[in-house]
Amino acid sequence: MNEHSNTINQDDLPGDFAIWIFIFAEMLAFGVLFVAYAFTRAQNIELFNASQLTLNRTSGAINTLVLITSSYFAVRGVEAIKRGLNQQCAHWLTGAFLLGGVFVGIKMVEFQSKFAADITMSTNNFYMFYLSLTFFHFMHVLMGMVILAVIIMKARRGGYSAHDYVGVETGASFWHMVDFLWIILFPLVYIIR
Amino acid sequence: MNNTKALSNLFFTVILLVLAVLTIMTFSLGEAGMAGKGVMLTLLAITMIKSQLVANYFMGLRRTKFLWRAIMFGYFAIVGGLIAVAYLMGLK
Amino acid sequence: MKYTSQAVAKPYFIAAIALFLGQILFGLIMGLQYVVGDFLFPAIPFNVARMVHTNLLIVWLLFGFMGASYYLIPEESETELYSPKLAILTFWIFLVAGAVTVLGYLLVPYASLAKWTGNDLLNTMGREFLEQPLPTKVGIVLVALSWLFNIVMTVLKGRKTAISLVLSLGMLGLAVFFLFSFYNPVNLVKDKFYWWWVVHLWVEGVWELILGAMLAFVLIKVTGVDREVIEKWLYVIITMTLVTGIIGTGHHYYWIGTPAYWQWWGSIFSALEPIPFFMMTVFAFNMVNKRRREHPNKAAVLWALGTSVMAFLGAGLWGFLHTLAPVNYYAHGTQLTAAHGHLAFYGAYALVVLTMISYAMPIMRGRAANSEKAQIMEMWSFWLMTIAMFFIALFLTGAGIVQIWLQRISNAPMSFMAVQDQISIFYWAREGAGLVFLIGLLLYIGSFFVKGESKAFE
Repeated sequence: MNEHSNTINQDDLPGDFAIWIFIFAEMLAFGVLFVAYAFTRAQNIELFNASQLTLNRTSGAINTLVLITSSYFAVRGVEAIKRGLNQQCAHWLTGAFLLGGVFVGIKMVEFQSKFAADITMSTNNFYMFYLSLTFFHFMHVLMGMVILAVIIMKARRGGYSAHDYVGVETGASFWHMVDFLWIILFPLVYIIR
Repeated sequence: MNNTKALSNLFFTVILLVLAVLTIMTFSLGEAGMAGKGVMLTLLAITMIKSQLVANYFMGLRRTKFLWRAIMFGYFAIVGGLIAVAYLMGLK
Repeated sequence: MKYTSQAVAKPYFIAAIALFLGQILFGLIMGLQYVVGDFLFPAIPFNVARMVHTNLLIVWLLFGFMGASYYLIPEESETELYSPKLAILTFWIFLVAGAVTVLGYLLVPYASLAKWTGNDLLNTMGREFLEQPLPTKVGIVLVALSWLFNIVMTVLKGRKTAISLVLSLGMLGLAVFFLFSFYNPVNLVKDKFYWWWVVHLWVEGVWELILGAMLAFVLIKVTGVDREVIEKWLYVIITMTLVTGIIGTGHHYYWIGTPAYWQWWGSIFSALEPIPFFMMTVFAFNMVNKRRREHPNKAAVLWALGTSVMAFLGAGLWGFLHTLAPVNYYAHGTQLTAAHGHLAFYGAYALVVLTMISYAMPIMRGRAANSEKAQIMEMWSFWLMTIAMFFIALFLTGAGIVQIWLQRISNAPMSFMAVQDQISIFYWAREGAGLVFLIGLLLYIGSFFVKGESKAFE
């Protein structure tokens, strides 16, 4: 698992293999939650449909656009560092990071409006899943932002090169996973009825 | 060299635009308040395309071993499949 | 031994093994009491035997953890221990306090013990695993702080490695979460809620950091694999452990009056807890396969691999068996829990301490490894104890399944005591396996006294 350190093997996953263990484990955890949501819904369709209408679909959709754009910025960051351009890479990743911040801001407004309406995880099964899933995902966004921040700082110092950019790919891979999971979460919880 | 770079960046931008259009489609279906088996399957199909675009091109798994793409696709096949099964169970 | 101060680990290890023997003896006593209810009554009633059995377990493991960290931290930090004197002083305080407490359990009625030790000042006693009188609890805090202080000061003046960071973090968590043993609210729901912050967050949280660090240290030493590789795995494993373990606390919150969402949170996250254990198994075998040297201490390698496998089986698989809320609804607090408890504590914690002792003790006695003969005896003891414990877990699992059926699922449920009669055959079998375990342990102790040509350092 250490053979990544300098050369990039085309067959292997981008970034450090260790991050992929996390990515697969996180996907498993979310997958179980998604499926649990779907089957619990099947038992309480009316409740789920009614509660779903109280969600803010617009903010959900905007957040999807925010995350995919942010993911795109991360791709550009990786492309930049492959050409050895540390500063450009840092700029793209800073864009990704800031969009992450936008996501967090919108999400907090959304949570705020739910808490103001006295909605908690004990209100009903729909809100239990909605709050659990989005909060769990929210924590991953924050975690991804921390990872991006570390990489940005290193890139600013010129810490990567066209031959050694595993770190950038590692962080970008995690960030794409955050995006990947939201892409499933959004239609499942906000739209499908 | 520069041309291929510009081309690949353009390619990623196109992927982003496709993702954005698909997101807006999902959103519009929701806003229209549409429901039912067909809509659910359409939404899942859109989601499948989006998730695989992210996995293959943004994550860059297109360039790697088949196994890794298979895992990402299999993941969606299982999770999305079970979501569909649960939805259909609820219809009865 | 690279640093003379590492030798302070020796009395800790000796005390750990002695207390381990005590734990097993009390286990056999209460194992028999399951089927011969008045055995040794009234001298040692069941509840007292149980208290001594579980408390000794915790104490000997703590002795093992402390000894292990006094041994490995100087080597990791490449400097002498900050204060060997403090370590020795702490040892004696802990040993005397532990012995006095156990004698108190055995000789004084528990209520009187509570009265004499100021339980009315701050009411903390009478709860499972936290039965210790107030002065003992305060003592544990002081001992843990002295240990933490000594270790952190050593790390600060020397080389900082991932192993010492993870170990220190584990110790810090151990000290912090124990503080919740002083919090005993009147509300029973809250009482149980925070009780698990000690019990669960110790064994399924911070202790696993200590376990990971100890295992990683021994693997670096016996395999010679690059520290970088092992440390990366250590980080991945402990992160997964913490995420699943901390939220997994929810699997204790199903039926105690806590909100219903814990049934989802607890089920899902605790169901993921086996993953880091599985990764640990893969990791250990991988490292041993990639080894760059043949360490003369074969026994230590066996203990290390055994830890990774048995921890996965005991903590991972047996935990998963009854962790999902719908299953736990029936399985809660049955012999299935006892099966899991036994195999998990043995597989994860007893074995990792024995791994560390197996690796470090010969070195502290001036050789790289024990003689061939002693090692073979040690390996026999590994297999005897491990197989015996596996059978204990199997018999208790059988007992648990029958218990669940007769007491909770069947159309004409039987009362608790009536069911206990029905499953006595399992208890007899368990007692038999327990005797084999004792033989294994005696063999283990005997292996320290086997003479023969020991392996010198290269």
